[in-house]
Amino acid sequence: MKNRLRVLRAEKNWSQADLAEHLEVSRQSVNAIETEKFDPSLPLAFRLARLFELPIEQIFIDDTSN
Amino acid sequence: MWCTRSAAERRYLSRVLVSMAGYVLATAGVSWMFAHRHPQGATVYLLALLPALPIFACIAILGIYLSEEKDEFVRTILVKSSLWATGIVLAFATFWGFLQSYAPVIDRTLNFPMYWVFFVWWIAFGLADPLVRRTYK
Repeated sequence: MKNRLRVLRAEKNWSQADLAEHLEVSRQSVNAIETEKFDPSLPLAFRLARLFELPIEQIFIDDTSN
Repeated sequence: MWCTRSAAERRYLSRVLVSMAGYVLATAGVSWMFAHRHPQGATVYLLALLPALPIFACIAILGIYLSEEKDEFVRTILVKSSLWATGIVLAFATFWGFLQSYAPVIDRTLNFPMYWVFFVWWIAFGLADPLVRRTYK
């Protein structure tokens, strides 16, 4: 799924490892989500939303809807 | 870094090590018993079960790791690698079964005991893991 994670992370000047630490996941998880090869679960998506203080739909872009 | 291990993975690895140590001890002990004491009857079945117990434990340990690992991406890799390994072992065992039926000479020559299936699974799992990870890079 398309997402703005890389941009949001850059705005905070965080590395993938920094974000992974905040989320308590591996850096590989962050990389796989950023490269849109792995869709996070709903709980992890909510954790991201809380971390960036944004609604989920401003982080993840549902490209299947019009 | 791929080598960064979670607490769940560290527990998993230490449990597997303990289990494998148990396997080595059980195999050595049971081999010695059969070589020197020549057990008979129900004892044979019980002794044959002993080295299998650490293997059962290893399978359970993998399941425990899967439930303890908090990183869902790592869980996904684990599940996909396990499925690849299981598929490879099933395919291999099926082929070997037909070899036993149609080419018993090969079976007798190579003498492949069924308990090796577990190790074939681990080898397949070890090979599948980096390949599955590559698909996410």
